[in-house]
Amino acid sequence: MAEEGWEPKIVAFCCNWCSYGGADTAGMGRFQQPASTRVIKVMCSGRIDPLHVFNAFLEGADAVLVTGCHIGDCHYVNGNEKTEVRYEFLEEMLQQLGLEPDRLHLNWISASEGERFANFITDVTAKVKELGPSPLKPAGVK
Amino acid sequence: MVNVGDMLVGYATNEDVRKRGASGGLVTAVLAAALEKGLVENVVVMKHINEFEAVPIITDDVDEVLASTGSLHSVPVNLAKYAMGRKVAMPAKPCDTQAVIEQAKRGMIDLDNTYVVGLNCGGSMHPVTTKKMLVEMYDIDPEDVVGEDIEKGKLIFKTKNGEEKAIAIDELEEAGFGRRESCRYCTLKIPVNADLACGNWGVIGDKAGSATFCQVMNDKGVKLLDNAIEAGRIEVEPASDKAIAIRAKVNDVMVNLGNTLEKEIFPEIPDADRMQYYMEPMADCIDCGACKEVCPVCACGEDSKCTMFHSLVDNYKMSMYHMVRLLHLSDSCIACGQCSDVCPSDIPITLLQSSFAIPSQRKREYTPGMNVDDVPPFFEVILK
Repeated sequence: MAEEGWEPKIVAFCCNWCSYGGADTAGMGRFQQPASTRVIKVMCSGRIDPLHVFNAFLEGADAVLVTGCHIGDCHYVNGNEKTEVRYEFLEEMLQQLGLEPDRLHLNWISASEGERFANFITDVTAKVKELGPSPLKPAGVK
Repeated sequence: MVNVGDMLVGYATNEDVRKRGASGGLVTAVLAAALEKGLVENVVVMKHINEFEAVPIITDDVDEVLASTGSLHSVPVNLAKYAMGRKVAMPAKPCDTQAVIEQAKRGMIDLDNTYVVGLNCGGSMHPVTTKKMLVEMYDIDPEDVVGEDIEKGKLIFKTKNGEEKAIAIDELEEAGFGRRESCRYCTLKIPVNADLACGNWGVIGDKAGSATFCQVMNDKGVKLLDNAIEAGRIEVEPASDKAIAIRAKVNDVMVNLGNTLEKEIFPEIPDADRMQYYMEPMADCIDCGACKEVCPVCACGEDSKCTMFHSLVDNYKMSMYHMVRLLHLSDSCIACGQCSDVCPSDIPITLLQSSFAIPSQRKREYTPGMNVDDVPPFFEVILK
């Protein structure tokens, strides 16, 4: 399995209005979380194309998190509903491809939910640590 | 006057067309009449070069349409893309029809301007495989072949010196020849999604071999037939109950066979081996992009997501191009087999694509290319 001291690399796509704010709040509230995430800010979760998720995995991410505002709270009316439809297809496809379901997550986090963000990262990191490096990780990438 | 839902048996009035046609030349005559009477501006037909080669042509010449008669089982070209932006009539296998409708849903084809004469299809063959099969199984020089036919589960080849040789399709497929893989698990044999559904199934008695069974599916089908009758190009009569029953029976047999073969063709893959199962064949990809080029349901055009963000120098474990296509087609793939046919590395792309698309479509109870009003599930992104 995983090497001793191996830390997973997790790419988290966060929307500008909610989940990025959530990540901020987690820091401001000093909630402890593993340093495994690389946050990529997008204006809306609806901007996250499945292509971005594929690219993250192919470049060496061990898990990818798609996060956004709660349904109904989208600052662009219905961007996250579009994310939901897209995510369903994406999830199915990656499972069929043989990627472990724990490597891809969808979560709605509002700007005030710092603790929720920190707990989410902690949970996912623990799960991915158990799974080990992603089978899609290119050779030479740690 | 014919009506929607009519089951008819008809043939071309022109003796030559009737004789050369696979079964009575009705389809050729209907297409010719549509062109002649100005119902359409062009007709898409296959121009014969030999038994294994034909090129799709878009023509406004009635003679060229009449010259194109006869079936071609070993030229599996999907004609859907030739209908784009034109006022055409075209012959179409069930999968061509599915592609036309999928393109219409994406705004690439105007169905009001496209007349689709559907042809029953029990499956088609790859020309290279067919040639190899002729040498190895039939002991016939491919150059000598002048005609082929499928009858009662047997594939028959006729040679220049008048000889005929028939071998059961099951036997051929067991030896690795016969129909293309995607045709084996296909379950749409009668093109009920077309304007007319034509074929030789259900043509019985003295008409066998010299008449076409034709089901009128919609108003455009009525127009096509009325037009051809008016032009004096065809004669039709109602089909007998027996003929209708036989046609349905042939269809049932073919559909059941397709369902059985689907279970044989798609292996059960344990979750742990999936990644390896998909990665291995895709490692042979040379990035030529031919599979996208021929895809009849792809409506993205030249600059598309799958190609634009794909680079030859990526050292990714799996091609991002294929990952995007696997996802993108999971709701719309019709398993026409074009991608496998053209792949220079012989990757069974249709099979891989289908193993993603079939579960996804079944889960959503969506069959692509059947009804233009069925919205593709992926479109919910836009509609919500």
